[in-house]
Amino acid sequence: MAMDGKPLVELDFSQMIAAVARHRDRAAFAALFEHFAPRIKAYLLRAGTDGTLADELAQEAMLAIWRKADSFDPARATAATWIFAIARNLRIDRFRKEWRDVSVGDDMPEIVDETAAPDDSLSDAERGARVREALRQLPPEQIKVIELSFFEEQPHAEIAQTLGIPLGTVKSRIRIAMAKLRDLVGDLS
Amino acid sequence: MTIRHHPSNETLIAYTAGTLDLGRRLVVASHVERCAACRGFVHGLEKVAGVMLEDLSPAPMSADALAHMLARIDREPAARAAKSLAAKPLAPAHDEPGLPACLAPYEMGRWRWVGPGVQMRPVLVPETGKLRVFLLKGAPGIHLPQHSHEGSELTSILVGSYHHEGGDFRAGDFEEADADVEHRPIVGKDKACICLVALEGQLKLSGFIGSLLNPFVRL
Repeated sequence: MAMDGKPLVELDFSQMIAAVARHRDRAAFAALFEHFAPRIKAYLLRAGTDGTLADELAQEAMLAIWRKADSFDPARATAATWIFAIARNLRIDRFRKEWRDVSVGDDMPEIVDETAAPDDSLSDAERGARVREALRQLPPEQIKVIELSFFEEQPHAEIAQTLGIPLGTVKSRIRIAMAKLRDLVGDLS
Repeated sequence: MTIRHHPSNETLIAYTAGTLDLGRRLVVASHVERCAACRGFVHGLEKVAGVMLEDLSPAPMSADALAHMLARIDREPAARAAKSLAAKPLAPAHDEPGLPACLAPYEMGRWRWVGPGVQMRPVLVPETGKLRVFLLKGAPGIHLPQHSHEGSELTSILVGSYHHEGGDFRAGDFEEADADVEHRPIVGKDKACICLVALEGQLKLSGFIGSLLNPFVRL
């Protein structure tokens, strides 16, 4: 199937989102689904959601991607970053459902930095690679604490228990990792 | 205007990860809105989260998930439903000028007297357990009642300034205080100070005046 003159296999994820936005392209959407739905589900499972609900929420997230595709700005975020934010906001909303019925992401401010210079010169994959490169410069134990706080909602005290290290060590690892990350992602944002 | 006090890394990570409760999220959002440094950092963290999402080992979806999905999008209206949703003007929730955009969807209660020169106005978020969110306004030069709290307190300074033992806090600044902090803020002399506060547990006023006021303060 050709989209914008390119066959699907040559499109990167942000171009697929654009194809969904512009042409309501089902094939591009299916490709996004194949790649991201299982990862969103994995993210939700790690955050403690049970299997059935994780499956259902991953589908909700994909539906939000379909609906909101035209608000995706490839100059400002990678596809993965945008999709992470959607899945996160959906999870926030879902777990507030018992007291608040809101549609996707409504109470989460869109974190889009209008002041950041958009960069069209790099592809989605290249920008992902730069972040990966930056992360490689951090020691694994620092990555681990960041990962735990991102994906498992663990406050620092719990991370300390999980890893069997003192709370002070968790805090200092995060502080050091964050200081480095600030430098590293400073160039990326 | 230079912003000098920012949320802690832990708070910004939790904000980015979406693990803060609504009340705290609003207070952090009000700071992030006007702080380019924190916005940049949150932005960077989201990129990291995106990469980490990509690197998770995929959890297989149920067998019929994709078919189910495609059937669902076929039922979606051609003109994007979300668009009309986004275009819908937010409920004019309040009359307070100069509030951060993140508060726009929320209604507010009335200004209430808390003490001499001190007023509060609750932000009506759905019940969030022991957490309250409110605007706090102190008249110029006023000594806010000395207080401690049962839990943590997040404060985003919207207008004006205050200072206490911990430093000077001006519009745009952010303060995080633990339960063990006891401080006695004094509002700057030039203008009233308005803050957005998320407070866990009860505020405990100390000192003679404080103990007189305590019964009235249902923050």
